[in-house]
Amino acid sequence: MDAKRRSFLKSTAMAAACSMVTSEAGFSLPVLSADDGLPDGDGLTWNKAPCRFCGTGCHVQVGVEDGRVVAIAGDKAADVNKGLLCVKGYHVGGILYGKDRLTKPLLRKDGKLTEIEWDDAIDIVAKRIMDAPDKFAFYGSGQWTIPEGFAAQKFMKGGLGNNHIDPNARLCMASAVTGFLATYGVDEPAGCYADLDECDVLITWGNNPAEMHPVLFSRVTDRRSRGETVRIIDIGTRRTRTTDAANDYLEMQPHGDVAISLGIMHLLIQNENYDKSFVENFCNFRGAEADTPTLQGEAISEEDFRKRIAKYTPEHVEELSGVPADKIRMLAELFANREIRITSLWCMGMNQHTMGTAINSLVHGVHLLSGHFGRPGDAPTSLTGQPSACGTVREVGTLAHALPGGRVVAKPEHRAQCEEMWNVREGSINPEPGYHTVKMFEQFTKPTSEGGDINTLFVQVTNPGQTLPNLNALFNSKDGLEDKFLIVSEVYPTATTRLADLILPAALWVEKNGMFGNSERRTQQWFKMVDPPGEARDDCWMTIAIAHRLFELGHEGMKNKDGEFIFAVKDENGKEIPVWEFEHYYDTNVDKHLFEEYRAFTTMKHKNLAPYDEYVAARGLRWPVVEQSDGSWRETKFRFAAFDDPFVAEGQEFEFYHSSSNDGRAQIWFHEYAPPPEMPDDEYPFWLCTGRVLEHWHTGTMTRRVSQLSRAMPTSYVEMHAEDAQAANIRQGETVVIESRRGVCELPVWIDGRGRPPRGTIFVPFFDETKLINNCTLEAHDPFSKQPDYKKCAVRVVKKSTAKANATEMVHS
Amino acid sequence: MNKRITTVFLSLVIAIAAVGYFVGIGDGVPVPDGFHDSPLADRELNQTGGDAKLIEAVSYAEIAGTQMGPTQSWQMVPKTLPTRSYDLFAEIKPSEEEKLASSQTRSSRRAYNGAPPVIPHAIENTTDAACYACHSNGMKMGNLKASVMSHQFLANCTQCHAPMAPAPFRDVDASVNTTFVGLPAPKAGKRAYPGAPPTIPHSQWMRENCLACHGGGNGWAGMESTHPWRTNCTQCHAPSASLDQAVASDTIPMLPPLEVVGE
Repeated sequence: MDAKRRSFLKSTAMAAACSMVTSEAGFSLPVLSADDGLPDGDGLTWNKAPCRFCGTGCHVQVGVEDGRVVAIAGDKAADVNKGLLCVKGYHVGGILYGKDRLTKPLLRKDGKLTEIEWDDAIDIVAKRIMDAPDKFAFYGSGQWTIPEGFAAQKFMKGGLGNNHIDPNARLCMASAVTGFLATYGVDEPAGCYADLDECDVLITWGNNPAEMHPVLFSRVTDRRSRGETVRIIDIGTRRTRTTDAANDYLEMQPHGDVAISLGIMHLLIQNENYDKSFVENFCNFRGAEADTPTLQGEAISEEDFRKRIAKYTPEHVEELSGVPADKIRMLAELFANREIRITSLWCMGMNQHTMGTAINSLVHGVHLLSGHFGRPGDAPTSLTGQPSACGTVREVGTLAHALPGGRVVAKPEHRAQCEEMWNVREGSINPEPGYHTVKMFEQFTKPTSEGGDINTLFVQVTNPGQTLPNLNALFNSKDGLEDKFLIVSEVYPTATTRLADLILPAALWVEKNGMFGNSERRTQQWFKMVDPPGEARDDCWMTIAIAHRLFELGHEGMKNKDGEFIFAVKDENGKEIPVWEFEHYYDTNVDKHLFEEYRAFTTMKHKNLAPYDEYVAARGLRWPVVEQSDGSWRETKFRFAAFDDPFVAEGQEFEFYHSSSNDGRAQIWFHEYAPPPEMPDDEYPFWLCTGRVLEHWHTGTMTRRVSQLSRAMPTSYVEMHAEDAQAANIRQGETVVIESRRGVCELPVWIDGRGRPPRGTIFVPFFDETKLINNCTLEAHDPFSKQPDYKKCAVRVVKKSTAKANATEMVHS
Repeated sequence: MNKRITTVFLSLVIAIAAVGYFVGIGDGVPVPDGFHDSPLADRELNQTGGDAKLIEAVSYAEIAGTQMGPTQSWQMVPKTLPTRSYDLFAEIKPSEEEKLASSQTRSSRRAYNGAPPVIPHAIENTTDAACYACHSNGMKMGNLKASVMSHQFLANCTQCHAPMAPAPFRDVDASVNTTFVGLPAPKAGKRAYPGAPPTIPHSQWMRENCLACHGGGNGWAGMESTHPWRTNCTQCHAPSASLDQAVASDTIPMLPPLEVVGE
């Protein structure tokens, strides 16, 4: 039997046998006998890929046999995870094989979904755009690969001259970006994960890495097992698994982080034990303008800074944050000690915050003021939740105001540079920033007659129907919006496809080539290893195919200056390869072409990338990656520090070479504490905090199709303090109704569960598409980053019987 | 009259029982004097500087953060947990049936060969020390067996091992429709010839402790080594460099063949 035929027989047998297996046990078990055509390890090949899930960026080894992923191993050559993974990573192969994979384009006709051909689907999209190019919006995510994001960016801003492109990362790390920009004048962390191996103190600010970034957290806790001492200080609004490993737990009120960071800086200044030489040489002080605050702020003197911060005494901070004054003094003493190394970690707690930009800047400020910066182990480190939030969103700039490589649409020279590099006509790029996420969905869900000027929305690689805040306002209904058209590229049916007019089946993870960029500036690459099911296709191909159809329809923007298609790819003989036809898409490596084009954009902000082939050989490289005299490419672990960063000027110890004050210095910000926009009151007496759990990633569309993960955490729930539950006569496991001013959500109660909120606070993970907690959350957002606050709003917890009675009463009245 | 005697007799019995009951529960242990009163252990701990017979009961949530352990009075008495005797040199005859049963149990807990096994029991939200208590060296109690950790101690067990559903959600339907089929466990290592020591058919990564599965008192039935006294497994059993991700090349690099000039 030839290999091909054997392989075919095996894959059919596997498909048949596994249906048997799943129906019996609920687990997809490997079966032992090797005679039934199931995988047997013969012809098993291994290849590297970054994990599909969070921003940690672990590398996995993917075991493929007969065209199917059958095994996963931690990649021992990967510096990020050193051969270890987390429970999601070990089961990442299973996400490809949910039985309800979307395999055919589906069009909603008279309310019913019908299968259509790809050609017709691309036609429909292209025609809608052609009819009203400025009413089209493109919504993506930090799960876009770098080439996918770059293609979308070029298509929108370079081609259509339309800036309505934004990613769900707006909801995830936009405040981290504005925090970095405000402080260093350039985005992304200076340090890297090596800081975790060196720090003496690890402070987690509203962060639960034990569950959200477990590989990074165990990198720290495993040091303890080896006999090293690491003090972990957990500052949070509820007890978590991170608290279990922490030496100190400082429980704060929501928004308490702002007060705590101000309190630490106040003590450092008052006790005169901040790092004077570091501040004198490398920092300026900054405050917000009185009238219209900007991200740049205005220079203030050290004297002024002292005056402004004077009122944040430990006692006042205790009042604002709920953290005892002694503990504020303890933190300040730690920061005053230059003998130790301190790393701060944060993620959504500080980003999903109406003072997100402020708190990000303040924590950077604490590190700068104390000089705990730039030495290995001394780092303010912002983590990301998505695999390419950094690589695609922040570096390629798929945000409504941004252009690739740290450029912005508002600056004429940046637009000119991009037009030049894209070889598109002068003036192609629109100088007005487009709609950010919340605004984009407001404009889409507002009827055209009332000024809702987005009428076609294309969603790729994300699930806004579950993740937007205040879903009742921003997503849940399409009534009265019959003229509007929602296009969703997806791998599974989701909360978003519920309302889609056109569903495009997408290829997932190792079913396509890709590149991601993780939280420590590491750019990673992988190759396609298996075929997508049915007619599922690459997101990048969709963008190019739509662009080409517009090109055929005569859209001027789809032509470059030479009249050629903007995504034209040529072979060695200069002949164009028709990559817009899917059967020819893999005739060449489109990713490589796009990446090489994109590389040219990255040098302006010193985020230099190496050629594509360097990434093929490596387990990712941290930018700036600079070519050495021997032709090799060197990555950079620590930015702005002379001992490692090649761009620091000769003779300088540190240089912030993109400083917003143009003097090589970083900014230490002062921000006044402000209370959260919505606080518990008599009517809605509880704080609601939302988040994730270890076993599920994001909206759970992938992880909830893996039996081991689904079994471990089958449903979302509400964590509640035992005494609150007792007071309301609520029992363990009972389903209650969470009500906010915006919506309701029914959830079972878990008392003394995995996390333990204090009295007056409840916590709900958002992964469960059958229990949409974002019906309740608030869309209030940070003024600079436009990132909403999912971590705090006011709700009440109502027993189901009472809720029903209330509802009936309302109907009757 | 008879009736009266019976009544008196029964009253007496009740009285004695009542006295006996109170004497019995007294037993030198202080009694809490009211519902909201501080529990006895608490008071006793304060009075006697930690040498108490009882320790305060805490909720499961509080266990992780509570100093616990044997009371001083218990520690005074030397005690050991009963351990099973294990004869290193007893003859071991692994049977095919046992091996099959063990393999099936093992594979039922893994998505594919090499996947970290799921935790086949519910876990309270305790610390890793709780896992380690049973799984460091493994144990058997009645029909239950705790497997031995096959890797070094790592500080976050649930990072890799998925537990069963938390207690309040045990009845939630968690079934999943999937077509994923994992790589099965190898049946046996390859032998160069009958009698040759078999090669190791799986990766050694995270399986550094061979005896976790292949021997000791708590290994897997049917998979035990027949010669557990030999302590250097890889002396005879060759590992696989490719499974261990130890080499990058597919072919074994060799010098080119000799060039022999023909006639």
